[in-house]
Amino acid sequence: MRRALSLLVALALVLSQAAPALAETTLEKIARTGVLTIGTRTGSPPFGFINRNNEWVGFAIDLVEQAVKPAIERKLGKPIRVEKKESTPPTRIPLLSSNAVDLIAGTMTHTRSRDEQVDFSITYFVTGAQFLVRKGSPIKGIDDIAGKRIAAQQGSTNARIIRERVPTAVLREFPDQPAAFQALVQGQVDAYTNDGIQLAGLKAKAPSPGDWEIVGDFYSYEPYGMAMRQNDSAFRDIVNVGLMEAIESGRYMELYDKWFGPKGDVPYPLSAEARIFLRMQVVPK
Amino acid sequence: MSYDFDWSVLWSGQSGAWLLQGILTTLRISALAWLLAMALGILAGAFRTVPWRPLRAAATVYVEFFRNVPLLVWMFFWYFGVPPRLPRPVQDWLYDHGAEFWAGMVALGVYHGARMSEVIRSGIQSIPRTQFEASLAMGLSLGQAYRLVILPIALRLIIPPLTSEALNLLKNSSVALTISVAELTFQTRQIETYTARAVEALTAGTLIYLGLCYAIAWVMGRLERRLAIPGLIARAGGVGP
Repeated sequence: MRRALSLLVALALVLSQAAPALAETTLEKIARTGVLTIGTRTGSPPFGFINRNNEWVGFAIDLVEQAVKPAIERKLGKPIRVEKKESTPPTRIPLLSSNAVDLIAGTMTHTRSRDEQVDFSITYFVTGAQFLVRKGSPIKGIDDIAGKRIAAQQGSTNARIIRERVPTAVLREFPDQPAAFQALVQGQVDAYTNDGIQLAGLKAKAPSPGDWEIVGDFYSYEPYGMAMRQNDSAFRDIVNVGLMEAIESGRYMELYDKWFGPKGDVPYPLSAEARIFLRMQVVPK
Repeated sequence: MSYDFDWSVLWSGQSGAWLLQGILTTLRISALAWLLAMALGILAGAFRTVPWRPLRAAATVYVEFFRNVPLLVWMFFWYFGVPPRLPRPVQDWLYDHGAEFWAGMVALGVYHGARMSEVIRSGIQSIPRTQFEASLAMGLSLGQAYRLVILPIALRLIIPPLTSEALNLLKNSSVALTISVAELTFQTRQIETYTARAVEALTAGTLIYLGLCYAIAWVMGRLERRLAIPGLIARAGGVGP
């Protein structure tokens, strides 16, 4: 037993020593490989999802392709390729810190506790948590959920807020949206809570969108940012420059219209406040 | 880019309580599923060896169907597939009383029951045929022969592979988090959500699984030595550290 233990300790030591050997900055890594690897979603329309033609697309993916990628290419002076990997709330920070991906571009809320682990770009989308319920449900907002069964996405900020604000609500946390929605369809839960825009996406993609409604005021503030490894400010600056230029040039609004416009996948008009907020994040040249 | 470990996240705040809850749920679901799996495994394992074809066929269908479909699919089947087919009042009662726990328990138990039955069958078949014939010649009925002679010996023989199966079951219980059972892996992810410290949370989870499994293996090792029939299967070496 003692020998087995010391073997384990030795193994752990070897593993922990292996990590610092990879100390190159993200820009150096991209320059060396010619690839920017992003972690994004497969089931969160319209930010990152598999569409009807079996293509992996979305607003966040477009922002990377058309705003961040050109900025990196200009900096490195050579063309690069974007590679996509699936990332979910529980896996996205480990994916970053293990160097498996360089940038998380999905539906990640910028929070202060996450800031201790990763760095965030400027905010590229603003939303807040609401509830998806069957039409005619007595649940109209966060004040009606005491004692109810509420589905939430595992590892999301919403579950945390519900647990703190309405401890009597019975939380069921699912690792992905489809499972949570299925539970709602079957009546296993009374409501599904997530960021309003994600619920809108889910509703738009549901077999009969008319059966569902999104209720309640935003009970949380969810600013989405792109996450990257801590303390790599050169890379973060490039990502921010790319996003700022897209907002400034109107490219951002074109993409917004493509996905959230009246003809987009998830119609969701940009509020006047959000428009001003986005503009004000663009600092002068 | 080196990583700064901060192990205090494992006991600060609610983390400790969550981990403990996770351990209890994991142990509860695994213990119940193990009982179910043992019952199903002994039945199916014995049925597959009896000299009566319909019983053998039924047991074979059970084993091949349930062990050859991925566990994850069974989780979804018992959680999303079965309850909607029950009468409404039963559904409501289930949804209010932890449907996900029971669905996960049944999925684990039925799946591992199919796997265990194969272990038990090989135990039964390793007993010389003459022993079975001798029991019948002594005047025992088929049922008595199985209950009093064949199974007691077979179950002793298969303790080592049965232990492996029990450990697999315990570790597979983490699949239940896909249907929102708040077991150990779920709780380690919860800690990650609150602290954004995934490496620490995962390491803690890993060490806890290691500890639980080692404890089970140790108990089973003791059991094996304790139950060994002198002169029959207690051979030198082999059992436990």
